Amino acid sequence: MSASFGSALHSLANYRAHNTRASQEVLEKGKLLLNSNAASKLGDDAWAFLEQLALAAIDVAKYDVADECIRQLAAKFPESPRVDVLTGIRMEATQPPQIVLKFYEELLEADSSNAAIYKRQISVLIRTGKIEQAVLKLSEYLDTFYSDVEGWVELAELYSSCNQYTFATQALSHALLLAPQNPFYVLQFAETAYSADDIPLAAKMFMLAIDIVDRHTSDESIPTGVSIRAWYGVKLCCRVLSERSCSSASETPLPRNLNLLDELATERVLTAYSAGGTDNATGRELVSSWMGPSDRSGTRLHFVH
Amino acid sequence: MVNYTVGQLAYLKIFFHAAKHPHLQVNGVLLGKKVSGTVEIVDAVPLLHHWTSLSPMMEIGLDLAGKHAESLELQLVGYYQASERLDDTALAPVGEKVASKVKEGFADAVAFVIDGEKIGSDDVALIPFIAQSPSSSSWWPYAEPGSPAPFTPGSLFSLSSPDIPARAVALVRDQQLQRKFGDFDDHLENVTIDWLRNSAAMPSDIQQ
Repeated sequence: MSASFGSALHSLANYRAHNTRASQEVLEKGKLLLNSNAASKLGDDAWAFLEQLALAAIDVAKYDVADECIRQLAAKFPESPRVDVLTGIRMEATQPPQIVLKFYEELLEADSSNAAIYKRQISVLIRTGKIEQAVLKLSEYLDTFYSDVEGWVELAELYSSCNQYTFATQALSHALLLAPQNPFYVLQFAETAYSADDIPLAAKMFMLAIDIVDRHTSDESIPTGVSIRAWYGVKLCCRVLSERSCSSASETPLPRNLNLLDELATERVLTAYSAGGTDNATGRELVSSWMGPSDRSGTRLHFVH
Repeated sequence: MVNYTVGQLAYLKIFFHAAKHPHLQVNGVLLGKKVSGTVEIVDAVPLLHHWTSLSPMMEIGLDLAGKHAESLELQLVGYYQASERLDDTALAPVGEKVASKVKEGFADAVAFVIDGEKIGSDDVALIPFIAQSPSSSSWWPYAEPGSPAPFTPGSLFSLSSPDIPARAVALVRDQQLQRKFGDFDDHLENVTIDWLRNSAAMPSDIQQ
């Protein structure tokens, strides 16, 4: 019994550390622990565990489990802002949005420094489709809580969902100021710039993403993850730049040596598909033919905004 | 107007894609062919579940899916998406764009939005959208006054077999097949993921 408890605890701690949303698994593992009252043996971790289990339970609609966790947390931490947030999230699952929004308004009047409550409010607005209001509230929030990187990223995603790609890149530029070494944000910026039809800017940022990733790996390494996406992005930009004249709203200059860059991007992506003799890489021939210089037949699809 | 039939392979793939990422927007393309006035939607290729409003990887995925369709002697015939919200059954702006592009290559292109309320039931969980005119990029839910609702008897839209939705629900609930399913986003992180065929996630009786 204790061996499976140990491994369950280990998984749960791992999920917490990585903020993984594996709600079904968390519920299955967590219920065992909750029922055996193992929480009392967890020491300080018990409270983080109860919060995690409550969130997972709400996610998969097992509200009785969530209520039990919240009950224990509220008993231990009366009037805690963090428990207030959890209570709000539980309400969001079953109560009409106006009631929850009113609850959050009241909490904010009592304590306007509870950033998490602002964010719950904004997420309710998003969930109910009130995107314009959400954007307004989120922008206000970021005026005060400027260093909330995730807030800037969320704002960018809201703008993108409404085709406002230029505003999205402006929001992401704040995220990049706050976290300049994060290749995911750079990649997202690149893809957003492409969507805004600023192809030279997109190309520059795809290459920056690759640069950041490469700093942490050896020279001859096989591209993975962020790098593959970024090299595909570079290739796509090279192709578009050679097919039509592109202006850049940000006045980014064209990459030099477009042909060489195109060849390099091709080589890098194809390396990822041929690495280590992987016959497992699927669609290699397809990608190869997509990459090939002969494929300028115009059947390729490109969105002009 | 033409008839549309949705085959088991296509429906299962759309279903698994949505089931694998219930809290995210997902999208992909439909593969098929037109046979004597009926568009047979035979297969689907899943594209994104991440940054679904951004275009570069979508464009690349669309190109690759198109080539894959050719290799199967099929064409890109439509687009599908599922929203992260149960009550959101609108076709997103990016969806209209993709669907319009597909329509340039296939005049009878259709877009399906997954109906979040119906997805757990035996009902067909697809809402068809049609372009308002051959050159329009505005897509509206299919509704012909006096015609049966889509996927009901006599409608222009039908499944190749009526037990498909129930089977889809059972495969997710009992065998969790959606966990083996991968899209283009997954493939970009791990090139061994077979996003074009997804054979590992399909039940053994389905021919690819």
